[in-house]
Amino acid sequence: MMQAVTALLGAVLTVAACYALGTLLLDRLAIVLRRAEQFPLSFVLGASCLHLAVFAILTFHVAYWPVLVTLLVLSIAAVAWKRAWRLRGPAKRRLNSGMDPLSMQLKIVWSVIFALFTAIYLATAWAPEMSPDGSGYHLGFVARYLREHGFVFIPNNFYSSLSEGVELLFIPAFAIGRHSAAALVHLGFFISCCLAIFAYGRRIGKPWAGAAGSLFFYLSPVVGIDGSSAYIDLGVAAIVFGCFYFLEIWDSGDSPAALVPVGLLAGYAFAAKYTAFTILPFALLWIALKARKWKPVVYVAALSLVMAGPWVAKNVVYTGNPAAPFLNSTFRNPYVHVLFEQEYAQLMSRYAVENKWTLPLEVTIRGDKTTGVIGPLFLLTPLALLSLRFREGRKVLLCGLFVLAPYLLNVGTRFLIPALPFFSLALAMALANAPPLLVLLLVFHAWASWPSSHPKFASSATWRIWRVPYKEALRKIPPDRFLRTYDSGYVVARMVEEHVPKGERVLAFGGIPDAYTTREILVSFQSAFNQWLSDTMNVAWIADWQPTVLRSLKFPARRLRRIRVTQMGKGDFDHQWQIHEVRFYSKGMELTRKPEWRLTASPNPWEIQLAFDNNEATRWRSWQAAAPGMHVDVDFGSPVDVDEIDIETSMDDFPHVQLRAETADESGAWMKIDGEVQTSARKVKTNLRRAATNEMHLRGVNYLLIADGDYGAADFHGDPEIWGLKPIAKAAGSTLYEVVPPEAPAK
Amino acid sequence: MIPVAFGPVILGAVFLTSCQTMPETYAPPVQRQPFENFRPYRELLLVDLGTLDADSHIVRDIPKDAQGSWRWTGQHPAVQVSLRSVMGVTYVIDFSLADATLKDTGPVTITFDVNGHELGAARYSAPGPYHFENAVPSEWVEAGKQTIVGASIDKMWVSPTDGVKLGFILTHLGLRQEEKDSSQSDAQTSQSDAKK
Repeated sequence: MMQAVTALLGAVLTVAACYALGTLLLDRLAIVLRRAEQFPLSFVLGASCLHLAVFAILTFHVAYWPVLVTLLVLSIAAVAWKRAWRLRGPAKRRLNSGMDPLSMQLKIVWSVIFALFTAIYLATAWAPEMSPDGSGYHLGFVARYLREHGFVFIPNNFYSSLSEGVELLFIPAFAIGRHSAAALVHLGFFISCCLAIFAYGRRIGKPWAGAAGSLFFYLSPVVGIDGSSAYIDLGVAAIVFGCFYFLEIWDSGDSPAALVPVGLLAGYAFAAKYTAFTILPFALLWIALKARKWKPVVYVAALSLVMAGPWVAKNVVYTGNPAAPFLNSTFRNPYVHVLFEQEYAQLMSRYAVENKWTLPLEVTIRGDKTTGVIGPLFLLTPLALLSLRFREGRKVLLCGLFVLAPYLLNVGTRFLIPALPFFSLALAMALANAPPLLVLLLVFHAWASWPSSHPKFASSATWRIWRVPYKEALRKIPPDRFLRTYDSGYVVARMVEEHVPKGERVLAFGGIPDAYTTREILVSFQSAFNQWLSDTMNVAWIADWQPTVLRSLKFPARRLRRIRVTQMGKGDFDHQWQIHEVRFYSKGMELTRKPEWRLTASPNPWEIQLAFDNNEATRWRSWQAAAPGMHVDVDFGSPVDVDEIDIETSMDDFPHVQLRAETADESGAWMKIDGEVQTSARKVKTNLRRAATNEMHLRGVNYLLIADGDYGAADFHGDPEIWGLKPIAKAAGSTLYEVVPPEAPAK
Repeated sequence: MIPVAFGPVILGAVFLTSCQTMPETYAPPVQRQPFENFRPYRELLLVDLGTLDADSHIVRDIPKDAQGSWRWTGQHPAVQVSLRSVMGVTYVIDFSLADATLKDTGPVTITFDVNGHELGAARYSAPGPYHFENAVPSEWVEAGKQTIVGASIDKMWVSPTDGVKLGFILTHLGLRQEEKDSSQSDAQTSQSDAKK
């Protein structure tokens, strides 16, 4: 029960601190809000401020829980001292002016539905956290930053380069109440977004539209489960809608200073999720059209940098790529392969949906391919066009389109969430003159979204709330028991925690809930290092990937200091150029590799040593489509005689590879060396499996986690001894192996 | 008003500083020593009755949820395993005969089978641990499908007190598969199958 209390305390303190800071800033700016707007807009604005404070704490490595708690308490105390929560002067006079009064029927319908679903969401968020990304990387990084008391560079997980504006609010909550406290903070964003939509309807004189629109959004199944988990999408939705709302306040002429929150929230949207940056161009466009001056436009753009800038700077400092983990072909770096980014983008834009025209049905009804549904109600979204007859409808829809614009980059259902408030509102606005119809739609939507109802048209595998875990929320069922029953990933994470010594790293082919282990999991696709290390493991058992092909470049003996192997063929999308080993010969004798040699390559210079390590299991790969001009260079340090270059590669080297040798003259210009290329078969000399795990060991990775469903699992399980692996634990279909270091040669 | 209009200039500067210079060149790394003279890859598809994982392989006549490193069998115990290829497959069984049961039943004959094909049989008259293995004809098995590996005892011991019937004590049952080429796995996967 104590855990339940601390979780709630952590969340309440964090939400209260956000609200307090927002209230202080609004008071300072003398922005007049109506009562219904007070909580949602103050909270979201304060969240942006608190996120900056936590960013500073993490930067200076003082993220100890007393510091974080003091920050929260001081924020709350400041608002109490300033009495900023009390509406004064014009604010008090205009408490509800401009707000249409609510009818009793509307109050009852809205309150009952809102209360019922809030209870469900509260129980879900309060229960032990087990959402895939929430207990994976969102809270994994939160826990790691708290362990390290600040930001740390995490080169082996590209997710750490994404902006984490919402996660930073999880930091103080997590420090007090652990995982569930973070999910409850996210629920705070969710509720505030719903209340903001409701208030917006009243502000524009369409209370039924606000009421129905807010509930269309609030009840949506994927929104419900996401908003009750330690995700960030509802944070993004609340920030984006808050930004839009302050624009409306500025546009109404109530508060010229509302441009400050507009700028801050537009920047905070980027800080929360890159794809939410589109609210900034929308805001700038609106301001430009309305003000007909460039100064407020520049002012808002600059303000947005206050929130977004630190994240860009963090990436520059850590990775050299301001847009990390994207744009790796422009800002080249050793942390993310170009090809990975391309493949990942392709995967995210498609999921398993082959025909994009089926997306509307997939995201509203089926949901098994795109993970979750927004509900069948949203099949009526085209009706939202009827709201174009209102000025507010046009604004809402236009903003919705801006926010929706990046959706096709990632067609997962939850990526619709930031734009959903706008389309919910527009749909309700379109039917605002028919309250009975809105009520009917609400009842249907509530039925289709209710946890225990299983509409026949919905997939049974989709991501949504299926039950109300109130016993788990109150910890009447111990969290460990609950998680072991329902979350196999948790079982694996705890197995890793128990069997892997502190400070050791684990290579895995799939992710596990990082938030439940303190050991670093190197997931095969999450960084360049993990990717080539996993590639090495795969080379060891996949015949076509093994160095059974020899390409020999033979030419009349030359005395030279620098030599280059240039590739002139063009490969398709995923056709890479790859080299296991490069060897140089003179009169049939291999030149011994010397420390004074200098190696480089283009592209991917960072991994060129893999082609010169005498390990047949490792290979240098271009990690982007093969293209003419790619090259590997060696500077021998002094002139040497060379008449042959041998390149050991594999069957899966791209089919149109064309190689030539070049040497540099005294001016540094490269000249072709005339010769011939011969391709032949070669025999692998080493035990590749053992060589692969030995490479892991040499790189400081001594544990391997293999799930039964992993690609190649049977090979590891079949003969661990020849791999140099010792199985040390098995749970929930995953086996944990320890690398047995090779015996040192006898002295 | 703070001079936030300088913001875009600052951001531009940040982007410019991020135009990385390419890295230094690298020296050859420490040379790895090849792992030569290694034994062939042997895929053990052997069900170890001492592990919880064993239950998922049991087909018949072996109790599930049992503890310890061995289990009593019924008359026709069998497990199933999945092969990736059909070459170089060997039947393997480790079992024991108990003195107490053998006294009552007398010598027993145990027959070993794969997918219903009899691979061999042996008569045992003394108690103790036994190991049996024999090559499996490739036509008896199919790659990618479950293979039923079993054994049968001709005489069961019947408890005089409660009528419980016991066969023999089983510790391991399954297959082993060895690669053909000493330097390579026979579980080779073609490029078209492999995920890059």
